[in-house]
Amino acid sequence: MAAVRLTPNAVEAVLAGDVNLRPIVQVLDVRCVNVSADRWRGNVSDGVNTVPALFAGQLSALARSGAVRGGTILQLDEYVINNVGGGPRRIIVVLNMTVLRAECDIIGNPTITPETRLPNQNHSGAEQFNGIRQPSVAANSLNTPTMLGHQAPVFQPTAQPSYRPAPSYKNHGPIAKNEAPARIIPISSLNPYQGRWAIKGRVTAKGDIRRYHNAKGEGKVFNFDLLDSDGGEIRVTCFNDLVDRFYEVVEVGKVYVVSRGNLKPAQKNFNHLNNEWEIVLDNGSSVDLCPDENSSIPSQRFNFRPISEVEDTPNATILDMIGVVISVSPCTTIQKKNGMETQKRIINLKDMSGRSVDVTMWGEFCNREGSQLQETVERGVFPVLAVKTGRVNDFGGKSVGTISSSQLLIDPDIVEAHSLRQWFDGGGRDASTQSISRDATPAASRNAIRKTVAQIKEEGLGMEDKPDWVTVKASVIFFKNENFCYTSCPNKEGDRQCNKKVTKGTSGLWYCDKCNREFTECDYRYLLQLQIQDHSGTAWVTAFQEAGQELLGVSASDLSRFKEEEDPRFAETMLRCLFQDYLLRLKVKEETYGDERRVKNTLAKVERFDPAGESKYLLDTISRLVAS
Amino acid sequence: MDTSSPSPFVNGETLKIFVGRRVRTVVQVQRNEGGVLVGQSTDGHQLTIRGATDAPESPHYMEVIGIADSNQSIRAEVCTDFGENFDAGVFNGLCKLANETFKPLFL
Repeated sequence: MAAVRLTPNAVEAVLAGDVNLRPIVQVLDVRCVNVSADRWRGNVSDGVNTVPALFAGQLSALARSGAVRGGTILQLDEYVINNVGGGPRRIIVVLNMTVLRAECDIIGNPTITPETRLPNQNHSGAEQFNGIRQPSVAANSLNTPTMLGHQAPVFQPTAQPSYRPAPSYKNHGPIAKNEAPARIIPISSLNPYQGRWAIKGRVTAKGDIRRYHNAKGEGKVFNFDLLDSDGGEIRVTCFNDLVDRFYEVVEVGKVYVVSRGNLKPAQKNFNHLNNEWEIVLDNGSSVDLCPDENSSIPSQRFNFRPISEVEDTPNATILDMIGVVISVSPCTTIQKKNGMETQKRIINLKDMSGRSVDVTMWGEFCNREGSQLQETVERGVFPVLAVKTGRVNDFGGKSVGTISSSQLLIDPDIVEAHSLRQWFDGGGRDASTQSISRDATPAASRNAIRKTVAQIKEEGLGMEDKPDWVTVKASVIFFKNENFCYTSCPNKEGDRQCNKKVTKGTSGLWYCDKCNREFTECDYRYLLQLQIQDHSGTAWVTAFQEAGQELLGVSASDLSRFKEEEDPRFAETMLRCLFQDYLLRLKVKEETYGDERRVKNTLAKVERFDPAGESKYLLDTISRLVAS
Repeated sequence: MDTSSPSPFVNGETLKIFVGRRVRTVVQVQRNEGGVLVGQSTDGHQLTIRGATDAPESPHYMEVIGIADSNQSIRAEVCTDFGENFDAGVFNGLCKLANETFKPLFL
């Protein structure tokens, strides 16, 4: 029988985990171990050693018909190794095979393989049964059939076949449970109804540790985002102890296998990934680094939108964008609503769609990527910038701002960046672009809600808790020229001037109630009442010091002196401003005077009417009107 | 108001619709070639203006009312110096609206 050669040392190699060997072996015996399930097993030999083999359901017919019997020579095409009963006993589960010769004398002098403890890193395939849960098996019985249910186990090559975790059974009482990570499945197929799963993905983003306080107490949390080779994305969140366990382990750009955890609906207001679930890790979860991972998983996934499309995107949309950096503004410090200071920097991006857009960087981005971009642009080089997870803003045209989960990539090595670079260098640099961020218009008309004078009353502005800030294009039709200013306290405490009203006492000195002091000289501050008018109606407006001076171009003390000295400049100053068009920024707020509640309009900023700027504003308004 | 001979707002692109008719446009003067003025329309086309008297020098903007000879030339009837400080983008926006979206509103 020299015509058939069994694969030498096949048993040893297969038990050591080689599932790609496809060895030629001889069947020594076959018996039915479960009649109702039609399940067959036997022993196979490589001529020297033997190993128990269980035939998968779809192979039962071969055994039943006698096509596979004692003496049959087989090639094992697909198979996995399974531990039985949590002990060191191993069997081959044959999933697919080829009968090479139906009958043959027993080759060699096979002996039963001593059941040595093989090293545990061996591969195994309990997890290969396509989600069918391995039933518990009595611990010490090799002869107890491993029941696989009635369904035929189907071997499915996983997305990343290189990683198959070893099963590890812990014997907790009578039930042995496979504690090994489950087989790797695509992220996109995760759902809360799976028991055991593992996913393998590259970390595309990692958040900082955040502390929180809620009704249950305080704690800490961090999250990271995974991307797998099929392009599936998911966010993974860890709380408290798990933060300590995994925060240091997880590094952006590296590949991990994550197993076990709870799937919860994604919190769409924080999580902008394209997945309706997110993972919350628990104590049974594992996050293991795959050090030998190749480039089959991209480091980031983008869904770039051309800038021209951003123009028609609603406020607060989250998107990815790529463009050439044309300019970088210096970093400015601004105060947030909660009083904290943060950094802000605006850069201008341009792309092939013929549009440009302002990208506002906040916080850390300003100093990290922002400084790098500024240096590059100052050298006369225009880098490509990819914005992952930017947020569309509609203050003054459309702009895109960073959020905490945003990522900025400078000159990334991706196709889109290269083609953009080619376009820019090949003439795109000089192509004219139109900004979708209304940058060219004057400051007052940016960030402003335009209203007509009549709308202030009609829409009941200022009735809420907070004042309404609006801009009206109107002209001044009347100045109240009595009591246009008041005498104020010049006392300075630190940087702040008191500015409270002072009264002239019998001594001829100016007395301040608040400071409890007398002064020989007082200041004059505007408290100017004026009437404004546009095509829709008229309204009374109060202008305080700064706005009054901005409007009249003369200080309150000068104007007060003109009046006292009956200088004609007093009247001229006011006449010069009458019937001129202005953009007036108003604070509208209901205030109480005694029993009376009245909506008060306070002038916050005055801007000379600029026909070109106003025309741009109108064109913009018309285009938005047409679009909606 | 005499509406028998309107002069619709045009830019370089929309001039061709009105060949043989009276139009109104604004160009930035580039050069004067022996009485024929070469100017750039607000959308970047080169237009030649004939019969422009007292035309301003480059880089002034100039309003021209006249008959469209071809899709890139106008025989001027009235020219007005608009100075250097003129927003071509806004005028171009007006031309587009007047000839496309809101054509029915204009003569």
